Amino acid sequence: MRPRLGPAGFFLIPALALILVFYVAPLILSVYISFTPLKNWNLDRYLGETSLDNYRALYSLMRFDPDFQKVLKTTVVFTTVTLAVNVLGGLGLALALYFMDERLSLPYRVLWLLPRMTPVAVYSLLWYYFFLGSPEGTLNSILMRLGVIDEPVQWGTDPRLLPEMAWAILVIVNGFVGVSFGMIVFYSALHNIPREQVIAARVDGASTLQLMRYVLIPQIRWHIVYVTVWQLLSLLTTFAHIFLLVEWGVVDRYWGQNLALYVFLKAFSGGESYQGLAAAAATILVVIGVVLGFIALRVMRFREMMVEPKGELG
Amino acid sequence: MSLVSRLRGLRPRPPAQRGAWDVETIRRGRLSLVLAIVLGLAGLPLILLYSMLVLSSFADRMLSGPDIFEARYSLDNWRLLFEGRLAPASGQTYTTRDILMIIANTFIVALGVTVVVVFVSVLAGYAFSRMRFWGRTRLMEFLILLHAFPGVALIIAVYAVYVWSLRFVPRDWFVPYTVLYTVLARAALEIPMSIWLMKGFFDKIPWEVEWSALVDGASRFTVWRKIMLPLVRPGIAALAIFAFLAGWEDLIYVHVFLYPHVKTLATYIEEVLGTGTETAYLPVVAAAGTLYLIPTIVFFVATQRLLLQALSGGVKA
Repeated sequence: MRPRLGPAGFFLIPALALILVFYVAPLILSVYISFTPLKNWNLDRYLGETSLDNYRALYSLMRFDPDFQKVLKTTVVFTTVTLAVNVLGGLGLALALYFMDERLSLPYRVLWLLPRMTPVAVYSLLWYYFFLGSPEGTLNSILMRLGVIDEPVQWGTDPRLLPEMAWAILVIVNGFVGVSFGMIVFYSALHNIPREQVIAARVDGASTLQLMRYVLIPQIRWHIVYVTVWQLLSLLTTFAHIFLLVEWGVVDRYWGQNLALYVFLKAFSGGESYQGLAAAAATILVVIGVVLGFIALRVMRFREMMVEPKGELG
Repeated sequence: MSLVSRLRGLRPRPPAQRGAWDVETIRRGRLSLVLAIVLGLAGLPLILLYSMLVLSSFADRMLSGPDIFEARYSLDNWRLLFEGRLAPASGQTYTTRDILMIIANTFIVALGVTVVVVFVSVLAGYAFSRMRFWGRTRLMEFLILLHAFPGVALIIAVYAVYVWSLRFVPRDWFVPYTVLYTVLARAALEIPMSIWLMKGFFDKIPWEVEWSALVDGASRFTVWRKIMLPLVRPGIAALAIFAFLAGWEDLIYVHVFLYPHVKTLATYIEEVLGTGTETAYLPVVAAAGTLYLIPTIVFFVATQRLLLQALSGGVKA
């Protein structure tokens, strides 16, 4: 006999209610809004009519609007480069920490976790000041002392340095936050590898590099897949740090903006705001995320690895 | 397992015995040193950034590295911060009351998120760990999917519902309502992962403890409240800290829902810098940033020990 929700219902209702109100309903509503011409949050006036206009508008923006094209290019470059930095950097950090003395590695783990633990506003403040275009900015000040540059450089907004410098700033700022995720997951995965295998490899005379290449990395393949897919989806939709960098003028308005931030600013900017258009862009973002996620899982043969027991569920 | 522990038992060797190296940790000392130096260099920007922030909060100017020995240090910035002598927009200054309100608001949001997340996830985590019901596995997978779901796609609709609901809220209740809505919306983002975390903690508790109580005729709720809750206390603490930090550091939700009626430390810093650095005295902003940073560091250090304790058998029946 199949037990029904029954007594479990009491324990589950608060969670299910929150999920219904703040995930499921908004998701459906979001897709609906993407077909309406909603703007300036005038719900009474615009929510009645539906059309494909927003998607048409996005298509023509993509073809003819140079600013939107900048945003799309930035999204692609930012997502791929930061993803590579996060996964490879996290793997490198975890391996380095693994080979280090346990007591020595602790302060490093804390250091690399700091950006993740720092409030977004403070973390952006740190980098705002680091890349500040005036002579007081940390980077300008140091380079001027060293005699590398004669006058202060507007790192993220100087037209001669665009778009690469703006992209570099985005990757650096987000990369320092992102690597710690891979670091934690890989570090604990490495410590779960049976020690006999490491010892056996050492007895056979494996060098540290060979040990990594043939023993350690193959063992944590599942975790590499997991971190890659997870980070891909997060990076596609992250925008909190970039939001402040753009708002404070650290990076160029369009070369420093990814699609997620574009959606956010379209819906929530102070003057005219276009929620219908933003919802359409958000819906496309979700579709891209789902498709890329599935492709990534397929390419990295997630299914085969799922056989590996990952704790009980049933 | 016994093989491992026996081999591990062999490990400590007198370091003077050169050549008698350990099979597992071949030349570990030198490798350790090299790695430490490399990692230290890679982390240098971070060390630089954080130390500049904290030092600048005491200095008479923003420090940028080479000038740390030239500046004069005092508590003036901190005094200015608490006096609210900082112009958010031209011709406007905060007052002492504003600053204390801003700090209090940040605490209210963070504590609100903590209460909601802990209450909801401790209930649901128990059900997922201990009870059998239709769709359990599928729901668990669904939660993971939800966590991966882009927040930016949700916030438009969440805000639309909020705008719509405002028409039913009396004017006097506006501020409490917005705070409550923000707390619930922000807490919801943490729910999927928190339920997974709590389920893990409940899973570690042996079934026998619960059976004996159930056999004695206790109800599921009594078992949960009287027996399970005390046992998962380390889990609840870890969860509470994560939830508090999420609420404490949030920028997007407080920016969208609360600004400018209710200001928190995040929107305060955003506002001051948004008006342009010409008007803002940056060392005070550094002090505000440091103040905002302190609880997260304190909690982080606390979590490290707590999590270790929880992982290394702190949860015992």
